[in-house]
Amino acid sequence: MSALAVLDALLLAATVATGAVAVFAPRRTAATATFLVFGVLLALLWARLGAADVALAEAALGGGVAGALLVDALGRRRPPRPAPGTATARGARAIAGAAAGAVALVALAIIARAVSPLPSPLATEALGTIPETGVSHPITAVLLNYRSLDTLLEIAVLVTAAWGAAAVARPARSAAPAEASVDPLRRALAGVLLPVLVVLAAWLLVAGSSQPGGAFQSGALLAAALVIADLCGYRRLVPRGRTTAWLVAAGLIAFVALAAVGLALEGAWLAMDPAWAGSAILAVEAVLAVTIGVALFAIFDAAGRADARTPEPSGAAS
Amino acid sequence: MTAFWPLLVAGLALFVLGVTAQLVVRDVIRRIVALNVGSAGVMLVLLAIAGRGTESGLAPDPVPQALVLTGIVVMAAITGLGLALARRIESTSSEDEAGPGGVS
Repeated sequence: MSALAVLDALLLAATVATGAVAVFAPRRTAATATFLVFGVLLALLWARLGAADVALAEAALGGGVAGALLVDALGRRRPPRPAPGTATARGARAIAGAAAGAVALVALAIIARAVSPLPSPLATEALGTIPETGVSHPITAVLLNYRSLDTLLEIAVLVTAAWGAAAVARPARSAAPAEASVDPLRRALAGVLLPVLVVLAAWLLVAGSSQPGGAFQSGALLAAALVIADLCGYRRLVPRGRTTAWLVAAGLIAFVALAAVGLALEGAWLAMDPAWAGSAILAVEAVLAVTIGVALFAIFDAAGRADARTPEPSGAAS
Repeated sequence: MTAFWPLLVAGLALFVLGVTAQLVVRDVIRRIVALNVGSAGVMLVLLAIAGRGTESGLAPDPVPQALVLTGIVVMAAITGLGLALARRIESTSSEDEAGPGGVS
């Protein structure tokens, strides 16, 4: 057993153990903090599994954006105590655990029967027709050419989630903290981070056609940049209100437009001619990255306003 | 990464942990964390399947990897929506009554 194999085994064991702690830690703070560690371990694990794209997205979304959302939700509030007399019975837990274990065994058996022989026929087919897709990176080809309908619907989910979160949010407090009142150190840090994040996002977007990267990772970085800008006093850089709504809808509109162009020129929804597929994919990806970034930020912003006490800051917090 | 079966078992273990916690945990925010852990288990299974044969020189299967990538983005969106709902529920129930309870 080589040293790397030992490290891999340790990484896997640590991931499962951290997941268990994150799920069963009795306090929210502990659960959330462990979940952040879990996200980092997952990103490492995905990288070790040869899925660099997924690792990038996990680090930016699972660890970054979801972490920001969860930590923000912890702030200042104590969780409501469960109603008296309804503490989960020990027996119910045992039954739930046993049932879940049984389901897992069945799932294991099904997966064992269902895994395709190597090399997987679908993978062979997918990798074989890469030159016709307009991009050279297989994952981008799957996401934006072979299975672009999935990605279109995924964007629809994202847009719906953003609208849903905005619907439960309370109206924005009118007086956002003045830019001058933000800690100067934080402002300076944001001044360094923001340009770096934006450049990195743009690079990931363009790199996506030929190597790991693409609209999702780029959009996640953009969302992170917007969260930092919002928290560190650069509120003018952050889209608000109607602008947000349009930017969020833009990705979906652009994608549907691409689908319609395919119908008009090639005779099938989302069909793309290899001659212009590369440019079309990059153009749609650029819009998608902005949409993903703004939508995730809009969700973060709305979640932050979902429990904001409206006018009186009467010490309800703490 | 070499072995396929340990990855599969670990993925299922994470999935089971997430689902069990969904059933027995009451705190809404911990449930959202559990949902994320359970989905990580599904992703681990998919990526383990995608990565089979990489050490014998095969390229990883891009189709499951793209599925997982889609899943991560959807999970982040759902986490955000879930947290917005959870926070709204908790702030409403603590406004309505002084005593404990209300949310189950």
